[in-house]
Amino acid sequence: MPYQMKVDGMEEISETLSKLEERAPSVAAQGLYEGAAVMAAEIRKGAESIRTAPFKYAGGGESRLPSPEEKEIVVSAGAGIAKFDKNGAEVNTSVGYRASGYADLNGKKKPVPLIVNAINSGTSFMQKQPFIRKAASGAAPKAMQAIKERIEQSFEAITKEN
Amino acid sequence: MPSEYEAFVAALKLTSTPVAEYGWKTRPEGAYYVVQLDFESGSMSADGVKQDRSWEGSLDLYYPKLTDGDELIEQTEELLTEFFGVSWSLNSTQYEQPTGLFHMEWVFEAMNDAEDPEEEAVIPDAVPDEG
Repeated sequence: MPYQMKVDGMEEISETLSKLEERAPSVAAQGLYEGAAVMAAEIRKGAESIRTAPFKYAGGGESRLPSPEEKEIVVSAGAGIAKFDKNGAEVNTSVGYRASGYADLNGKKKPVPLIVNAINSGTSFMQKQPFIRKAASGAAPKAMQAIKERIEQSFEAITKEN
Repeated sequence: MPSEYEAFVAALKLTSTPVAEYGWKTRPEGAYYVVQLDFESGSMSADGVKQDRSWEGSLDLYYPKLTDGDELIEQTEELLTEFFGVSWSLNSTQYEQPTGLFHMEWVFEAMNDAEDPEEEAVIPDAVPDEG
């Protein structure tokens, strides 16, 4: 007589596996949201550390620091999280000021991304203070950890459902 | 300050393009560089001491429209490769409408000189060899 072996519970496992596949995109999105939140918080913290000096025209090719009003605009705008770009199980987003709109500066409407870029990247008349790049390279491991933890939690919850 | 970075700034200053660290008080005419170390990007500790530190810095090049055969950008990237190997990248290219200047930004990473660990690990012979 040939050797026989019976394994119970295979149906549950296959069910769980198919569930995992189904829910992978939403789990990935949840994880990414956690990571993006960490990154956005770090950028906002960086914005608060911008050095300022009272405004004066940078005439004659002089370089200047951002004025307190400009800093206030950047701090109050706050880094946001872009709409998620979903492509199957792959989810992408970006964190920044792109959708921050316009702000009033000395009675004129100025785009917030332009002010942020001038401070972060520097211009020929503004000294650079790369707070976004600093946050991005400093918070990357923290953001990855947050994403990993959230995904693991979700998977655990799904496997326990059965 | 990493010696790699210091050597790079010294080499930059030998070029015909003016160089400033941490911005200009008065901007020169034509093309110019701004170079600076931005922040500490990583470190390795052992024995309660920071053994290795790496710094992220950036090089900004502002230039009016280049003429044919002007190799300013190529020369800049050659210098970056010479001093930082592969640890640099082009971060952004921009155009400034009020001044009509183009702005290129490179980001590089410089390491503090690490002490040679093997050098310290050599334990002298307790008994001198008497041949």
